[in-house]
Amino acid sequence: MRILLFGSIAEKAGASSIEFDAPSLAALRQQLIARIPDLEHMRYAIAVDRVVMNEDRPLAGSEEIAVLPPFAGG
Amino acid sequence: MSTTSGNRETERKAGGRSSGPTVKDIFVEGAIDPAFIATSIAKHATRMDIGAHEIFLGQVRADAVAGADGHPSATTVSAIEYTAYRDMALERMTVIREEAFAKWPSMTCLHVHHSLGSIPAGALCFMVFASAPHRQAAREAVAWVVDRIKAELPIFGREVLSDSTHLWKTNR
Repeated sequence: MRILLFGSIAEKAGASSIEFDAPSLAALRQQLIARIPDLEHMRYAIAVDRVVMNEDRPLAGSEEIAVLPPFAGG
Repeated sequence: MSTTSGNRETERKAGGRSSGPTVKDIFVEGAIDPAFIATSIAKHATRMDIGAHEIFLGQVRADAVAGADGHPSATTVSAIEYTAYRDMALERMTVIREEAFAKWPSMTCLHVHHSLGSIPAGALCFMVFASAPHRQAAREAVAWVVDRIKAELPIFGREVLSDSTHLWKTNR
């Protein structure tokens, strides 16, 4: 699945999206930290189909996943 | 990438809701021109039911970052480069807009614009403009909508500093 990255997280990863497969949000979080170690020290949220998800949930692979650093609008 | 409908210019009239909510594109490339704001105000002159306008304008502040992360004391923010997760931001904004009209049903119209791209210190990057028959609804709605946008819209700000380094802005 394609994972969209934004702001400081895209900067750390050196990419605006990355590809990998994860069966759940918890598994995805682990893979993200393995791929972008700086995430461990950063505040971020994960959006599934454009809604921020805090709880674990299974992923089918067709969802739109995004990793979001702190918001700064306004 | 955008889910915006082609119907950007149609402003919702009070009580005039027909089908689902219209997704409006709030994003503009570059700073918000004060002349655009003047034109926006003038466009309401034909609405005889409006008695109050309330406008919030966000301006890029030349924050000093003295001492932070080893920057020299004279370092300030010279510009903010805004990016957004556009589809999610417009979805969230549509929900916030609908909730605002439900909370203040007398509100006549609500206009929101946010800049993308590089905005220099001193320039305007954000506008929330509400109109209503009386001031209370317009005032309350603008304050509420501004707070919701800052907390919920996935907009990101890269602060370009006067020493050519950068920091990432975080809303408090």
